[in-house]
Amino acid sequence: MRIAGYKLTLAKRETLSGLQASMISVLAVLTALLLFSLIFIQADVNPLEAYKEIFDYAFFNSYGLPLTINRFIFLLLSTCAFIIPFRAGLWNIGMTGQLYAGSLSAFAVMYAFGVKDAKSAEYPALIIIPLMILAAALGAMIIASIAGYLRGKYNVNEIVVTMMLNFITFWLVSFMIKDGGLFMNPGGRGESFELPASLYAPLYKGVPFTLIFALGFAFFLHWLFAKTKLGYQIRAYGENPTGAEYAGISTVRIPLLVFIMGGALAGLAGYHYFAAVPGVYKIARSYAFLGDLAFYGIICGLIAQANPIAAIPVALLFGGLTNGGRFVQGKMHLGFGIDYALLGVLMITLVAFQFFYRYQFALTKAEKESPDV
Amino acid sequence: MPLNNIKHGDTVLEAKGITKRFPGVVANDHIDFEIKAGEVHAILGENGAGKTTLMNILFGLYQPDEGELFVGGENVSFKSPLDAIDLGIGMVHQHRKLVPAHSVIENIILGHPKAGKILDLKRAEEEIHELSRKYGFKIDLRAKVWQISEGEKQLVEILKALYRGAKILILDEPTSALTPIETEMLMESIKTMSSEDLAIVPFITHKLPIVLGISERVTVLRHGKVVSRLKTSEATMKRLAREMVGREVIFRVEKEEVERGAPVLEVENLSALNDKGLTALKGASFSIHEGEIFGIAGISGNGQSELVETIAGLRKEQEGKIIFNGQNISHTSSLERWQAGIGYIPADRIDVGSIGEFSLIENILMNYYFDEDFSNRGILDYKKARKLTNKIIDEFGVATPNPETTAKCLSGGNLQKIILGRVLSRKPKLIIADLPSQGLDVGATEFIRNKLIETRGEKACVILISEDLDEILSMSDWVVPIYEGEIMDIIPGEEAKREGVGAMMAGVKLEEARS
Repeated sequence: MRIAGYKLTLAKRETLSGLQASMISVLAVLTALLLFSLIFIQADVNPLEAYKEIFDYAFFNSYGLPLTINRFIFLLLSTCAFIIPFRAGLWNIGMTGQLYAGSLSAFAVMYAFGVKDAKSAEYPALIIIPLMILAAALGAMIIASIAGYLRGKYNVNEIVVTMMLNFITFWLVSFMIKDGGLFMNPGGRGESFELPASLYAPLYKGVPFTLIFALGFAFFLHWLFAKTKLGYQIRAYGENPTGAEYAGISTVRIPLLVFIMGGALAGLAGYHYFAAVPGVYKIARSYAFLGDLAFYGIICGLIAQANPIAAIPVALLFGGLTNGGRFVQGKMHLGFGIDYALLGVLMITLVAFQFFYRYQFALTKAEKESPDV
Repeated sequence: MPLNNIKHGDTVLEAKGITKRFPGVVANDHIDFEIKAGEVHAILGENGAGKTTLMNILFGLYQPDEGELFVGGENVSFKSPLDAIDLGIGMVHQHRKLVPAHSVIENIILGHPKAGKILDLKRAEEEIHELSRKYGFKIDLRAKVWQISEGEKQLVEILKALYRGAKILILDEPTSALTPIETEMLMESIKTMSSEDLAIVPFITHKLPIVLGISERVTVLRHGKVVSRLKTSEATMKRLAREMVGREVIFRVEKEEVERGAPVLEVENLSALNDKGLTALKGASFSIHEGEIFGIAGISGNGQSELVETIAGLRKEQEGKIIFNGQNISHTSSLERWQAGIGYIPADRIDVGSIGEFSLIENILMNYYFDEDFSNRGILDYKKARKLTNKIIDEFGVATPNPETTAKCLSGGNLQKIILGRVLSRKPKLIIADLPSQGLDVGATEFIRNKLIETRGEKACVILISEDLDEILSMSDWVVPIYEGEIMDIIPGEEAKREGVGAMMAGVKLEEARS
């Protein structure tokens, strides 16, 4: 293409710095918002106003911000749960099942301490909360390790296994909290028994301490992949399994290990949402919604190019938009599903812009000997 | 058509001052070239000498920046390979482009304008039959392509070009995948074809004996230029290699006498299955001592990969024992064998020996990440790895801008040097080198052979696997032909004869081979 004596060509990128990558992502987000303006205009809403409302509520509102942060913690943990196996070339589609298993395990700890029947009693939080967290991680690990083991030992497709485990655990939760279930709410509203106030997770300025987990693990994973022997083995297996086997890396151990690690983080996400978020403190009837939300971990992980640090802003954006989008839908009387549509457009644009990770436009002065046609 | 009425000795194709530039390189720099009907004119050059570019220009895939092409005396320019085909130029690619599930005839008429919309297989069969009889090809036209050998596939490609009316045949590395016997047969066919007024242009990287055996003239390219043009009758191996590489090349690798030391590897009655679950290695027994090169000669797929993978610990043995340094290592993992002092250079350097997306440093770590020197409580010492990488790059003359370059950016020869350097720097007692010089140019091949031979002085021993008999014969202390998973014989290097070993590689039993 030629513009006024300049030639616009598409060239393959040799290198991509972190700064360039983030510039491309920011550009993608802006493009997505621009595209989605059309929907707002079509619904007779000023897009600028709508976006202002969305971002105000998501990031600057005293009611909205804590919600955003809680979603962010949940999404970041889910994203990391996806990223670990993904660095080994494996797809964890089972964050949903893993977080359910984690939640059930955490509630099992409370059940064992008799919380279900004596809600008002004082419990030793310093013992029980760590046990709940440990149990959540462990329960999710066990479920996830099934997929990892089958993959490593018998080469069974991990996508299928994790997907199936999602269904199993979904109904398992239902079985446990609905009528006659072990964790049933005494009121029988199709939800689990509630946490006693003494077992609420510690908050700092309204934010649960699980934020430290989420951010901590993101940085830890970055370090793990960049510096450690285990991280090296995982990456080698992910890039070239035959080469990894040649180098003596166990092709049974690595799939098992990445699913165990990923599962543990998904379990923590389950603990976070059902036992640490103020106002929830139970496995609610609508628990399926969080199972769906966990799938955004895949999207965030892919957009962040499996980089756990890059996942932080991505998860924050998605957490904020799911939250603000829903709010603006109610406030401006928009059609149902505006929030999902917005996320959909954002996803597609982000994925489409990954093209620029590999290619770039180059503007060069057109040569004289080849005149414009 | 300019080539319709050509006679033996007429110039059929002429290139004058062909020049082609790519960003940063002149791939072809004023190349002149001509070929007559009934002549074989070989083009010789190392990887990167500009052969492929020239070939693509002659076949119409590239247009030259400067220079002219003449076919049968007419100035022509090709817009696409179709123009070249229409003028009677046929190309036989190095990588076969045939449909395995189809028969030979179906492959030959695929894309032929005469085939039209309705297939007339009968007439095609008669015509192709006639053609193959004329040039003395023995080939079953109704066989499916997957059933026939590599050598026969080559003939199918040639027949395909001839059936489209080719008068000038361009052959890209014609013998690269063939057994010695198939090579002989192909050389015969080429001679017959040229006696029938065809003009044949083989492009060859190594395998200098082929050039000497079939061609009348040779043009040698180096760095995109013609460095010499000579009659084959005046050429020798030494001279051709010198012209090609630009310096003296020693063919008889200099091997110092090394005292036979203690046994390093003893293999007893070893059997293994291939990936399909069939017995691929049948009861191999041998021992290798310090300072010896054990050269296993065989055509790919005769159990040599299974043998070395079993020794390296990547494949379970069905039966038998592997004793290394006096220890039975049969049940140890591949990692334990690396640590015990076995170093393995795999045949597939891209899919097995390296990780394309990894930097050279991380590729070096493939054989070092498990060393205590390179990790401290699970944290890898990347600084040390970089130092080692730089050392290997220097010592092995790897052409790379820096150690952060990803492995996929390296050429085959440079990648092989990285792998070789990585394995040899561990100072293994046993080095398994599976097809170490496959696809490399003369310079890199010579370098790698010498590096392997040097290890004998350090009391290491080498298992060398090769399809190239010259490589085996020039390097090995023991020559070991293998056929269908069986070791046919173990012959002391100085007693091994080319013909006998070649026959045993093709399955001729020892008694017959000796008689």
